[in-house]
Amino acid sequence: MKIQTTVGNLENYKIYLQVEKAVHEFMEKNNYLKINLPVLSPALIPESYLQVFETEFKFLDKKEKLYLTPSPELFLKRLLAHGVGDCYYLGKSFRNSDPPASLHSYEFMMLEFYKLGVNYLEMADIVLELLKSINKQLRITNDELKKIRNPKSVINNQIIYQDKTISFKKWEKITVSQAFEKYAGISEKELFDHKLFIKKSKEKGYRVDGFNYEDLWSQIYSQEIEPNLGKNGFPTLIYDYPKEFAALAKLNKNKRTIQRFEFYIEGIELGDCYTELTDWKEQELRFNKERSVIHPIDKGYIEALKYGLQDCSGIAIGLERLAMIFANVDSIDKLKLINIS
Amino acid sequence: MRINAGNLKKGEFVFFQGEICQVQKADFYSPGKGSALMKARLKNLVSAKNVEYAYKSNEQVEVLDVTSVDMQYIYKDQENLYFMDEQTFNQSALPISVVGDISRFFKEGEKMFVYMYNDKPLTIRPPMSVRLKIVEADDAAKGDTVSGAKKPVKVETGATVMVPIFVKVGETISINPETGEYTGRV
Repeated sequence: MKIQTTVGNLENYKIYLQVEKAVHEFMEKNNYLKINLPVLSPALIPESYLQVFETEFKFLDKKEKLYLTPSPELFLKRLLAHGVGDCYYLGKSFRNSDPPASLHSYEFMMLEFYKLGVNYLEMADIVLELLKSINKQLRITNDELKKIRNPKSVINNQIIYQDKTISFKKWEKITVSQAFEKYAGISEKELFDHKLFIKKSKEKGYRVDGFNYEDLWSQIYSQEIEPNLGKNGFPTLIYDYPKEFAALAKLNKNKRTIQRFEFYIEGIELGDCYTELTDWKEQELRFNKERSVIHPIDKGYIEALKYGLQDCSGIAIGLERLAMIFANVDSIDKLKLINIS
Repeated sequence: MRINAGNLKKGEFVFFQGEICQVQKADFYSPGKGSALMKARLKNLVSAKNVEYAYKSNEQVEVLDVTSVDMQYIYKDQENLYFMDEQTFNQSALPISVVGDISRFFKEGEKMFVYMYNDKPLTIRPPMSVRLKIVEADDAAKGDTVSGAKKPVKVETGATVMVPIFVKVGETISINPETGEYTGRV
């Protein structure tokens, strides 16, 4: 990898800074407590699909392994259980094995916030307010952007991204099950039955030998569903994922789906929200099912849940991706003054 | 050679739905909803169309064992570019649509590498840089002293390139043919 100085991105970077500032202001105005957190931790939540960075603390002849946090969730949930109330973190998160690409980086700015007493769909209303609020506060000095932004579009809660007008007045809502039916021709029955799903995937031409339901689901979601989301003039809210994709989310009454949504603009995933699982027994069960992870498991997380986590919802938003939409660029590296790739 | 899709690289050749494609872009990522994926953009070397495909990162993919042959670019017509093998004098044609925009920087008589598979030409291996003479350029506007200011010029192959304003007609410049960017005076 090489260090690149990309000062040509200065105007875009200034937009990024404004988005960051607007987020802090929205949070403060709505009484979310800003939480500063460590990025190095001796233990993590077991989420086997996330690869982590490992380092070592050294003092004389003592050594201890430390891990860069892939998300601030383990810390924030403890604090919630101890009663800090609505809160947020806006800072770095780290995910190994995510080589730099237009929408990915192994280190990125994550906004994660929690609201007590609301479920995931109520949280979606708050996210829409956040998007409107950022849009209102942006003061554009960049000539290119000035051409596509006018006062009327701001009043109408609209932005233009890659030549398309997107309005923040409402969500386009679709369940995961409806999306599979509409975009991939996979029925609800096939979606939730592992055998039928694998059979259908094979019929569609996917390689199925040696792959499980989660592998194929994830491939078809990425290949056939995602490219269609957030393309009808509104951001798309896609919700109710199969229970297999539920590390920390609450189950729906149907027991097949979880209370999780993601939102998209122009096929780009911007955020991931759950109604948080508060049942510690269920959480412990799910942790025990996780495949091998290299790091020690944070037992304090379960202890925090035992102590009592109130009903709440939390969302994680990739801030660079969000700022990319407001800056009308197609890659997160275009927002940065130093790029390593 | 069979490899995991997670190791696919730009420039490699694969079979996709029975046709030979060249990888234009390959981004590895873990979506957080199941296994990691390799999102590839594949260019079909027959239709010249791009298709996006998300491989499972541990899915086996057959990467074609291609050879590159030193050839001379001789001429083009409306549809094709023609190359000649300097050893055998055999001629090969490649559609302009397959080779892409890069061909606007090719000068007749230049040597290039052509990728071959089972004696069939696939596409060219893009040179790192090309050297071309400027045949048309406006003088820099007086008073335009903004650092980094650029102007368009025409090079001997007819392509237009943005260059710093101090560069003049008759000079030879180097260009990165893949990005079309000026990289320096020669």
